[in-house]
Order: sequence, then structure tokens, then C-alpha cells
Amino acid sequence: MRDTLRFALNGRPLAVADVPPHHTLLQWLRAQGLTATKEGCAEGDCGACTVLLGTPRGDGLDWRAVNACLVLLPQVDGRAVVTAEGLAAADGTPHPAQTALADAHATQCGYCSPGFAMALAALAQRPERDDTAILDAIAGNLCRCTGYRPIVEAARSLPQVQVAAADQDASLAARLDADSADPLAYRAGQGRFLAPRTLDEALALRAEHPDAWVWAGGTDQGLRITKRLEVPGDILFLGRVAELRRLERQAEAVVLGAGLTYAEALPAVAEVAPAFADLIRRIGAAQVRNMGTLGGNLGTASPIGDTLPPLLALGAEIELTSRRGRRSVVAEEFVTGYRTTVLAADDLITAIRIPRPAAGTRLACYKIAKRVDQDISTLSAAFAVRVEHGRVAAARLAYGGVAARPLRARGAEAALTGAPWGPEAIAAARRAVADDINPLSDFRGSADYRRRVAANLLDRFLLEAP
Amino acid sequence: MTVDTSRPAARRGGVHAPVAHDSALKHTTGEARYIDDMPEPRGCLHLALVTSRWPHARLTGLDAAAALALPGVEAVITAADIPGRNDIGAIIPGEPLLADGVVEYVGHPVAAVAARDLETARRAAALVTLTAEPLPAVLDVRAAAARDHVLLPATVFRRGDPAPHLDAAPHRLRGEVMVGGQDHFYLETQAALAIPQEDRDMLVHSGTQHPTEVQHMVARLLAVDMNAVTVEVRRMGGGFGGKESQATIVAGIAAVAARVTGRPCKLRLDRDTDMEVTGKRHPFLLQWDVGVDADGRVLAVDMRLAADCGWSVDLSPGVVSRALSHADNAYFYPHVRLTGLYCKTNTQSNTAFRGFGGPQGMMAAEAMMDHIARALALDPLEVRRRNFYGPGGRDLTPYHQTVEHFRLPAMVEAVLTSSDYARRRAEIDAANAANPVVRRGLALSPVKFGVSFNKPEMNQAGALVHVYTDGSISLNHGGTEMGQGLFVKVAQVVAEVFGVDLARIKPTATTTGKVPNTSPTAASSGTDLNGMAAKAAAETIRARMAEHAATLFGTTADEVIFADGRVRAGNRVLSFAELAEACHVGRVSLSSTGFYRTPKIHFDRTTNTGRPFFYFAHGVAVSEVAVDTLTGEWQPLRTDILHDVGASLNPAIDKGQIEGAFIQGLGWLTMEELVWDGDGRLRTHAPSTYKIPTARDVPPDFRVELLADAPNEEASIFRSKAVGEPPFMLAISVWLALRDAVVSLAPPGRVPDLPAPATPERILMAVEAARQP
Repeated sequence: MRDTLRFALNGRPLAVADVPPHHTLLQWLRAQGLTATKEGCAEGDCGACTVLLGTPRGDGLDWRAVNACLVLLPQVDGRAVVTAEGLAAADGTPHPAQTALADAHATQCGYCSPGFAMALAALAQRPERDDTAILDAIAGNLCRCTGYRPIVEAARSLPQVQVAAADQDASLAARLDADSADPLAYRAGQGRFLAPRTLDEALALRAEHPDAWVWAGGTDQGLRITKRLEVPGDILFLGRVAELRRLERQAEAVVLGAGLTYAEALPAVAEVAPAFADLIRRIGAAQVRNMGTLGGNLGTASPIGDTLPPLLALGAEIELTSRRGRRSVVAEEFVTGYRTTVLAADDLITAIRIPRPAAGTRLACYKIAKRVDQDISTLSAAFAVRVEHGRVAAARLAYGGVAARPLRARGAEAALTGAPWGPEAIAAARRAVADDINPLSDFRGSADYRRRVAANLLDRFLLEAP
Repeated sequence: MTVDTSRPAARRGGVHAPVAHDSALKHTTGEARYIDDMPEPRGCLHLALVTSRWPHARLTGLDAAAALALPGVEAVITAADIPGRNDIGAIIPGEPLLADGVVEYVGHPVAAVAARDLETARRAAALVTLTAEPLPAVLDVRAAAARDHVLLPATVFRRGDPAPHLDAAPHRLRGEVMVGGQDHFYLETQAALAIPQEDRDMLVHSGTQHPTEVQHMVARLLAVDMNAVTVEVRRMGGGFGGKESQATIVAGIAAVAARVTGRPCKLRLDRDTDMEVTGKRHPFLLQWDVGVDADGRVLAVDMRLAADCGWSVDLSPGVVSRALSHADNAYFYPHVRLTGLYCKTNTQSNTAFRGFGGPQGMMAAEAMMDHIARALALDPLEVRRRNFYGPGGRDLTPYHQTVEHFRLPAMVEAVLTSSDYARRRAEIDAANAANPVVRRGLALSPVKFGVSFNKPEMNQAGALVHVYTDGSISLNHGGTEMGQGLFVKVAQVVAEVFGVDLARIKPTATTTGKVPNTSPTAASSGTDLNGMAAKAAAETIRARMAEHAATLFGTTADEVIFADGRVRAGNRVLSFAELAEACHVGRVSLSSTGFYRTPKIHFDRTTNTGRPFFYFAHGVAVSEVAVDTLTGEWQPLRTDILHDVGASLNPAIDKGQIEGAFIQGLGWLTMEELVWDGDGRLRTHAPSTYKIPTARDVPPDFRVELLADAPNEEASIFRSKAVGEPPFMLAISVWLALRDAVVSLAPPGRVPDLPAPATPERILMAVEAARQP
């Protein structure tokens, strides 16, 4: 067991032992006098605190943009962090992302600018400079001054450039792996941060500390600390458990380890269900998708979590594991009510099994929100329908944001199943869906709006595949 | 003495050059410091606010025992701790810094906890318990207007006799639109650091657009003279009006806490607290009663603009006055009455926000024009053009200023051509006829915006320029930098005067210690006023230097030319630095203040008539959108803008202002929805719930042009025009394009009902109403 955090900051390996485990990376950086990283919201929605987080993978570092406000300092154990101060070359020459933004008149007040520079530095690693790649790279960064046009222009002009030289990354990765090989049990002040390396260790800790906060990416739970000022007792961090990162492509299904981030799971999801992958691209923004996990989205059981409706429509199964054994539940039985699940106090979500849809199945996923990028759904829907010989052979219609938990619209499914595919069947499903759902009014939308759109999305589904 | 203008200014960063913001690279590397980035002075305490959870209540108790028992907590500060007068009313007294006896909105600051670190302060603040007796609350501007629940008597602009002409008009139309508020969402939340000095003086680092007001209010709160308070600001991470009057709340609390504890105190609001405590753009209920002829030409107008001021007056008189003075926008109203109401609601006290009421007033004009066109089944573009100001007795505003140098008719023609309007109009109509689900909309909207503070006495500025003996120049003025590029523009002015490279000039932090008694950096006036003041200061020094050079050269001062970092007369040449050194040796002062007051303007606040504006800035936008009629979601497709900045001081900076303002306006009118619940709590108080535009919300085809060869007819700073606010209102074209898409579903004569912001939900409801048989 290790009781000291080992990570690298702007290329320099560090050991830290005196910071309370619930302090965020952002808090800590600013306390060190590294003030380029700004707090704009402390909830992962503005990108002003974007930093690059390098995780040892293979013989190098996988650098990704993350929100420092939603990363607990101990989460960077075994990893490398680069801030705007550390982006410059050794001789002080600013990173091309920094000069490109300045040259393109892409800064005004400047408060968001270091965050944009980090987002562009992440983009700069790859060759793509099309608008989709650029807009995806900066969707998590808000600018209130420029109107973004010059920022996009700066991004277009970026050369391809890595965060650090490959040999530097390799030696730093090896050093970090060696320094952080042992499981971590970190304490400073009240509460511990427990970071096991194996599933067995994790299950044992889960059973021994049922009150510990189970922590994966932290993109949702982080708000309990930054917004509600809760102080966790113990935190059980799953980010370093190798078994939770498995990815199995089977004949009938893909199995995704619960600890895979959205970004890591995306390619495999795209193979099975491209429409689901498109929806995942609208979960949070790059910074959130680089930290948030599939298992975490299920564990928080939000009624407007974006992954459950597609998982319901696809008939996915959730794998739960405890020291007592391993079992599977179908996705729709996993969430039992408003933010409640079938998880027992000693369970961990270990994997999600997504069956490959039967041939001829059409899947559509819809996310309705006030804004395209980085918004929480007003409502969402996922429809999986198979038509054979002009009739609906199978229909699974799932909705989020229309009740206390994501649900299947059983009445609408019944109205469709067996009916000739076409406007009449959709009209019947529209009528039935009204009884399947029970939406509320809130600041995201009225119940009336949710009802109308829930029905209209069936029309859209028909329009897209008449 | 002359200035050599034979070489292009771009070579040295003089006026009209598209040079970068002075801090651009410091922004991206993070070297640029904001208040929370400054090293904390020894013993610095951190503050957290205790705020009301009632929209209106009589406070009966405050129990701070649990908070004070928390290790690290040094003090809990309440109204009773304020040494001086507990009042920060910017225009009218009666706005306590900390609530005393009564709270008037959810979020009203009641106390502040001072602790050794921010986390402790925030935890302690949550432990302070307030008790209160709830009082009746009014939460909605419509309810307030109906009950005459107002803060001040109405303001009325009037010309002619509208009532009989309304009665006699061939068509009389009554309509209304509700326009929501807008949070500033400056990326840097409000912050101040107050540091006690000798002699009970106070130094306040404040993220404020109005250092003089912070100085004035801190002096009042601490019961000291203004000369005992110094307020300084190098830059803000965005302001947009939100840090004009309301920065005083944060700075005032920090200063009081610093006085009470005797230690430096910092208050930086977290995002949620910032949005819950500070005021926003005023929501307005806009109502019109208009008489028109068969061609849609306005004969008479009676409008009522009901402003939701929130709980207190703040800057509302200025906001309402500007709303009324822009409720004509570009249109001549032969007979007119405009009534502005100051509705009081138990919400945040609404305040300055880019446009300062102008956008809301202009929305009334544009919504009314659209109403006229739709009701009479006329082309909205034609209706707008028929109603434009023009010659022949059609040039007098409702406040009796004559509209001179009106550039819109020609600009509209230019944009119709450049945007290929007629062809696209026909193509969109055809496409809509063929597509029942996705409907496109197209609209043109003009902007005419009056430049000058509506209050003539605010139109003055000071500057302080030093030339050092190495020829480097220090520049200071009363304007504040919040990202708009004021510092670089004024530096360009000074570079032009001295004929030196821009790099020789160092803009320095705004401080009440250098230039006193300043106006806020607001009303788009920063460059107009401070540029002129700096020019005056620089010209004073240049005249002295020229005289000394003439002595050295044996010429007359008139023959001395400042250009390219050199000073010459005939065949005699000195570098600028050499002359500076020579002046020092010759005991010539190389430091000067400069002062400017805007000419020509006057306004009678008893009759609401006069010439409040030195000149008008103009703009035209054409926007196209596509609406999904199944969900109400929409996309911008293309926007063309032509904007009038006179002879631009810095085309790159000006283009940035135009683009940024347009997108901010697009957010206001489409996605930025403020929602208060039935208990008066703001439910959209952070970016997870309050959505400002992202990069994907920008029209994929976005063409912005500055009006070419168009120097200001008035003698403004190098014939440029103000640019901060006017382009914000170009976004009205997007809202009108959304209405146009909705109208394509309706039978002729039906007027769409689309409040702002036009969220997907509201668009869907308007679509379904349009489709009703």
C-alpha cells in the first residue's frame, strides 16, 4: 500500500502527501500559484479549467483534455498533467495553439483562453482539421466574447504537434508506472482515497467499506463536492482497476468494461450501433467524455442519463459483481426508480453487454435539448425497430426524461408490433405513448412539450425510414 | 507642426491598423492576471456570502454561533458592522450593501463570513442560520405591471398627438411580446481584494467597469474621504455591463470585511452565487398599439415598455430611457407616445447589459414591424423600408433629435445584393412549400444605435500620459479593459500622435489614483471618450517636445514632424528617445493629463427631449435559419452583416466586437433562458442549466463586413464610431428569421406568437399554433 500521490506536473515528477483527498486538481493547481487554469463554473461546463491529462498506455502517454474542476487530485496519481504554463517549449516558445489563438484575434477578455489553448493542444495531436473535428474539440469550452469564429480559424491553422516528444513520454510513462505500481490508500485529513489495482481488491474494499463513495470518472459525483460542499468519508476509486477496462468483441455482442470512458468506448459502440455512438458524441463534451464512464452513467441512475434509453432499446445487459459472485440484469430492470438501482451495497458494475442488433433492425437515438452541444437532455429517445415483409417484427421504444427513470414505452411498442409499417402504425404508437410516459415540468421544459415531442419523434423516425 | 500620414499606419500600429489585443499572447499562456490570480497578501482572508432564501421577508434573527465555532473562521460581518452608510444606490439612495431588516429577493446578501481559506468560509456560511417572517412577493413583470407595483413613476417620450391618429388609422393593430432577461456570464465571476493601508486608507483591487463608483461607495461605506480609497483594475474577464454598478456589491463587502478584520479580504463569487446574487439584463413586456395605412406605413404609435427592474432601482432609469430612445430603431413615427414602466419584482436587481435597454426597445420596434407585415400580408422588408427615417419631415425621433447622416437605406441595398437576398427568398419559399417538416426562415433587420451616455454629464474622460527619457511611453486613462480592446485602441491613438511604434506604449492598470472622477466604461463610449482624452494629453506633450526640438533645430515648432519613431525638421533628425532625453535635460515636462467632453449633446429630463446622442452607429443583418417543426429545434444557416464603425480604429478588434456581440445577442433571443420557480429561486444559475452559445451555434456561413470608406461625419476619435453595443442587436434578425419560418406554416394574416428567448419549446408551440386551421 502506498500513502503518497505520485504524478507529474508539466514534466516534473512529484510526490504529494498533504492535500485532502476531496480537493480538486483545479484547487490544487491554483494554490500552487499556477493560475493559468481558471475556475469558470466548477461543474465541468465551461472548459476554463481545461488541462491535459496524460495516462500511461502501452509505452507512452495518452494525452486528453479534461476539466480540472472535476478531477480530484488523487485521481491524477500515476498520470501526468500539463497546464497552460507547461505547454510552452523548453526555450519558452509558446505552443502553436497559444500563438495561433493570439494571431487569429481569438482572445478578447482572455479568461477562457488558456482553456481553449489546452483544448486546441489536444486537437493538435491529431491530423483532422475539418469543422466537425474542431467543433467537437472545443464544444466544452465557452467563450462569451469572440463569437468563436476566430477560435475556429486558429484551430484550422494548427500544425500537427504532440504534447511532448515520444521518448520523453515513454520515459515519463515508465517512471509513473513504476512510482504508482502499488495500490493507493491515501489519507490527508478526514477520509481516505482508496485506489485498488485489481477487481478482487476493489470488491474486497467495496464489501468492507459499503459507505465509501464509488468513484469512476467523477464527472457527475464531483458536483457533490464542488457544488453541495459535501465531504466524502472514504472514496473507492475504480479508475486503476484493469479488469474494468476490458473490451470484448463477441459474435453476438460487445462487452464493454464499466470503467471505459465514453471516449474509449465510442469506437466499439460505433461498430454495433452507430446511432448510439452519435448520441455518445453529444454527452457532455470532450473533457467530460474523456473522464466519464459508461458504468458511472449507469451508477448515478439519472432519469436523464443519456446512455440508458439506447441500452434499453438495444436490450443491453448490465453485469454486476460482488465477492458473492457475478450476475447480469437487463438494462430496464437495473434502474428501479428516481436515482435508485438494483445495486447491492457490495456490488460493482463491471461491464455492459450490448447485443448486436438482429439483421434489419433500425436504431435511432434522439436527444432534445436547448443547445446542441454540452447540454442535459430535456428528453431523449431510442427506437429499435425491425420490419420484415412490411410488418413490424420487433419494436423497442425507450425514453429518458419523461418519468422518474428511463423506461420502455410498452403500449407504443405493442401498437407497432405486428402492424404494417407506415403512418397508421405510427399514429397508433403516438396515441399509445401518451399513456406510457409521465413527464414533469421543470426549467428544461414543460410536461406538455415533452409529451408532444415524445410523440413527434415517432413521426421523425418514420420520416427517416418511410 | 504636423503629423506625417504619408506612410501606412499599419507599419507602426497607429490608428486604423488591425493590430492584436495588447494582451493576446498573455491571455493564451495564462500570464495575464485577473484578481483571483494575484498573489495573496500575507494574512489574507477569504469571504463567502450568506444570502436570503426568501423572495421577500422581514429578518428576525441571525445565528452565527456555529459558523464562528468552525476553526479558521475569523468574523461574520453583517449590516451592523458597516462603519458608514449602508447604501450603494448608484442613482437613487436606498440600496443597502447588506440587507438590514428586510430581504427582497432570493440571493439577497445578508452577511459575509471571513475565514482563512475559501473552503472554510463557504462551509461556515452554510452554517449561519437566518430566521424571517415571509412577506408577500411579486415575481413576474406582468403581475407587477398589472398591479402598478413600480419603483419609480413612468417615463414618457412623446411627439405629436397619437390618440386621434390611432383612431383614424385605416388599420389599427395591438400586439405584445415578452422578452426575457439575460445573465452576463462573464467567464470571470465577480471578484475583489481589499487591502487595508496606513491612515485607515483602503486599496481595492476590483473587477469593475466603474472604479470611481467603487471608490465613492467604499468611501461612503467606510465613512472616509474618497482620497482614502484607491480602486485599481488591470483587466476583467468580461464585463458586458454586469460589472458596472454591481461590482460595488463585491468590492463593498470585501472593503467592509477588511476594515472590520484589519486584514486583506478577498471575495470571489462562485458561479452559482454570482448568478443568484447579481442582476441581469432587464426582461421587458413590450406592448404596442399602432395605426398604419394600407401599405403598412406607420401613422401613430402608442407603446408601453414595462421593464422588470428586480428589487431595486440600480441603473434602471438609464436602461428605461435607452429602451424608449431605441423603440423607434430606424423608423419614423409621425405621432408617438412611448411609456416606460419601472416594475418592481422580488428578483435580482437588473442592471446594465450591452445595449442597456436599447435591445429591448429595438425588439419592440422590430416585433411591431413584423406584426404589421404579417397582419397585412405584406413583405416585412418592404414594410421596414417604407417606415425608415428619411428626408421630407420624416427625420425627427420621439425624443426630438433630428436623425442626421442616416446610412441605413444604402446599407440595406448593399446587403440585399451581397447576401443574394432576392434569389434566396424565392428559393426558401419554394423549398418550404415542398417540405412540411423542416422550414426555413429568412429575415433582414437594421440597427440604428445612439452613441453617448443618455446623461450628458457622464460624457467626459481623463487620461494621463508620461514619456520617459528612453522614449518609452506610459499610458493611463479612466477606461477599463474587459476584453473589448480599449487599451490597444487608445494606445494606437497615442502611437499615432507621437509617430512611434505601438510597442513603445505601455497601457497601465486603471486606477482612481491616476485619473479621478471617471465615468464607467460603458455605453460603447470607452474609446470615443478615453481615446480623445489620451489624444489631448499626448498632443500637449508633443507640442512641448516640438517646441524644444524647434529650439534645438533652429526651426519653428510647426516644421517639426513626428513619424516612424523619429522627430525631424528639414534635414535635422533625432530619434524620439533622443528628443525625450533632450527635453528632460532642457527641463521640459514630459507628462500631461488630457481631458475630453463630448460636444453638441444635451437632454432635458423633464420633457425627455434634446440631443442625447453625438451620432448614430448603423448595422444591417440578414439571417437564415432552419426549424424542425417536430421538435422546435433549429439551426442557423447563414448570416450576412454589414456594420458601420466609421473609419475603424482597429478593424480586427472591431470585427471581433461585431461577431461576439451578434452571437451574444443570438444567445439572448434563442437559448439563454432564465427560469425562476414559484418560490422566487433562480433555477438556471450555472452553465449546466443556463445555456450560452457554443461554437456550434455560430452560423456555419457567417460573413461580417465593415462599412467601407465611411468616416464619421462628427469629429469623433479619428472619425471612428463606437462598436461595443450596436452589433448586439443585429441578432434580432435571427429571431425574425425564426418567426419567418413559423409564418410559412400559417394562413395569410396570422401573426406568430413567439416570445424571446425562442427556445425549441416555444418554437414548437408557435409552430403548432400556426398550423391550427
